[in-house]
Amino acid sequence: MSAVVEVSNLTKRFGHFTAIDDVSFRVEENTIHGLLGRNGAGKTTIMQLLTGQDFATSGDIRVFGQSPVENAAVLGNTCFIKESQRYPDNFKPFHVFRSAPWFFPNWDEEYAQLLIADFRLPLNRRIKKLSRGQLSAIGVIVGLASRAPLTFFDEPYLGLDAVARQIFYDRLLEDYAERPRTVILSTHLIDEVSNLLEHVLVIDEGRVIIDEAAEDARGSATTVVGPRGAVDAFLGRREILHRDGIGGLASVTVGPLTGPERAAAAAAGLELAPVSLQQLIIRKTNVSQTEFEQSA
Amino acid sequence: MDESRPIFVQIAEQIENDILDGVLAEESQVPSTNEFAAFYRINPATAGKGVNLLVESDVLYKKRGIGMFVRAGSRALLVAKRREQFQDEFVRPLVAEAAKLGISAEELTRMISHTPAVDSPTARITGTEQVI
Amino acid sequence: MTAISYAPATSASRRGRMNRVLAVTRLHFVDIWSIFAVPFMIMIFILLVNMAIWWLILTSISDPESRANAQEGFSYSGASFYIYVYMMVVAIMTINLTFSFATGYGVTRRNFYLGTCIAFVTLSLLWAVVLTALSYIEQATNGWALGGHMFSAIYFGDGAWYQRVFLHFVGMAFFFFVGAAVATVYVRWKASGMLTFFASLVVLLVGGAALVTLTESWPRVGEWFVDAGSYGVAAWLLVPTALAAAAGWLVLRKATPRT
Repeated sequence: MSAVVEVSNLTKRFGHFTAIDDVSFRVEENTIHGLLGRNGAGKTTIMQLLTGQDFATSGDIRVFGQSPVENAAVLGNTCFIKESQRYPDNFKPFHVFRSAPWFFPNWDEEYAQLLIADFRLPLNRRIKKLSRGQLSAIGVIVGLASRAPLTFFDEPYLGLDAVARQIFYDRLLEDYAERPRTVILSTHLIDEVSNLLEHVLVIDEGRVIIDEAAEDARGSATTVVGPRGAVDAFLGRREILHRDGIGGLASVTVGPLTGPERAAAAAAGLELAPVSLQQLIIRKTNVSQTEFEQSA
Repeated sequence: MDESRPIFVQIAEQIENDILDGVLAEESQVPSTNEFAAFYRINPATAGKGVNLLVESDVLYKKRGIGMFVRAGSRALLVAKRREQFQDEFVRPLVAEAAKLGISAEELTRMISHTPAVDSPTARITGTEQVI
Repeated sequence: MTAISYAPATSASRRGRMNRVLAVTRLHFVDIWSIFAVPFMIMIFILLVNMAIWWLILTSISDPESRANAQEGFSYSGASFYIYVYMMVVAIMTINLTFSFATGYGVTRRNFYLGTCIAFVTLSLLWAVVLTALSYIEQATNGWALGGHMFSAIYFGDGAWYQRVFLHFVGMAFFFFVGAAVATVYVRWKASGMLTFFASLVVLLVGGAALVTLTESWPRVGEWFVDAGSYGVAAWLLVPTALAAAAGWLVLRKATPRT
């Protein structure tokens, strides 16, 4: 496997604010990567740094083996669909779809037309007059039809309804399967996309808190539910990610459990509930939030 | 797909179920990894992992350049494996729950013998719809 | 695990780079309606309004001598300056709104600025030809049969065609690149940048005016303009135009597109 993106010890400061704090990760070629985290965690900043749109304070970024900053050879292979992209005042969608192919050597016009029909996007209405969802659809269509070897989607579907989002997921999977490429997708709708992702990178307060295969991340936590005493006895001194309780009942999220441990829990009358990727991230980011507050 | 077990395991089980039900006959071709991915809306790598699990356990085999096929005799293999699991996965929780509710062994036996067997493919289809 | 390495730039990829520069140029022209057709139509509308005013003035004056005076007054028309200011606004909007999404398409800042400069120079040339042609039509029809002047206003001179084209070209380019410089300041520093920029501009202008007043050199400034003539002034205008273009690049090369 080869890396399309290699980031080491990357830091980005805005004045006294550290947006990205000594981050290192790599993105393997032809994977769908999820860049997840809360608003303001640093997802957009990372994408801007990877596409040379912003400048690192320190650290090293390699995209296709080179620095992306002002590097036409690297950037010519990328497509960055930004959240709430604005367009020139009088632009209509057809202006976008007429000009986009000039920038993307792999652009597939037929596919673009198919997507336009899928999303029922009016081509001849001023973009300013379009709904939020239709505006997002423009970006999604450009991102898919560009077939850029490295495509970034930054919260690509604000305002898209559930049906349109499903179309996006289906088209992305279908096209990715036929023409593998590297996709980096940032979103806060984690449950919806978690099955599409091969790898997840979770950012919180400018740091990477999870960087693993989506499958492993998903299995990396379990919630144990039962009478408080029984739960505490079972868990012992285990590290606790999250704790909830009503009356005598406790619901505690911990790391992965082995087969025998699961059997032991069942024997003790405890229930084991799965933890979705979204829950896991919420719990993990909460933890670091409190840690942060304590250290401050 | 449910969250309690890894998705690739569920994919493998889904294929196993289709073989047990006869939806996938022995020596017939199974859908491609990409078809599974599109159908279940999962990453193709995950679907591939599920298929590979069955290749490793000799249920499926690869014909070079054509695709994956169900190995002859795999149905019997699966039935044997599932029978082994039946005690752990179904009977044990059933007995435990019955004990909690004060249902005696005799009563339980009677309840089981009075419960009609459900047409399994239909049951599964409604099951999948709930998940999706 | 190895990283993918791309071959160093060859002549083929240099050609590819040129294509990306020209793609940016084409991007500015994709909505030709907004960038040329609409302002052109507004300009024609302004001409029609002017013609109506000239006609009203002339019909209200019966004395031939006063008429001649009025027509001489027409030659100080500033109506066609509208198009210069409009193009400066076009330049500002164009850069502000396309920078973010062109960079999303994988265009480097350098290629974006080069492509934009080519677009502005092309547009300047286009307008220069159009305005020159209109000035000849205006003269041939004796000021649209009313003795009016909009495209042959006195500041534009009465030179050969290439002098007129040159004057309009430089004038347009000046406004385009000043617009470009202003836009890059906005793109890089947003509102606070604009505030600082215009505050310094006002200080500079007021300071300059004060300097001229204190040294009592207004007459000399006037003389300079008269001596240089329309075409001389246009030639001198190339200097601030080039400075604005260079300043635009220096500001943009470290700018981060934000939406």
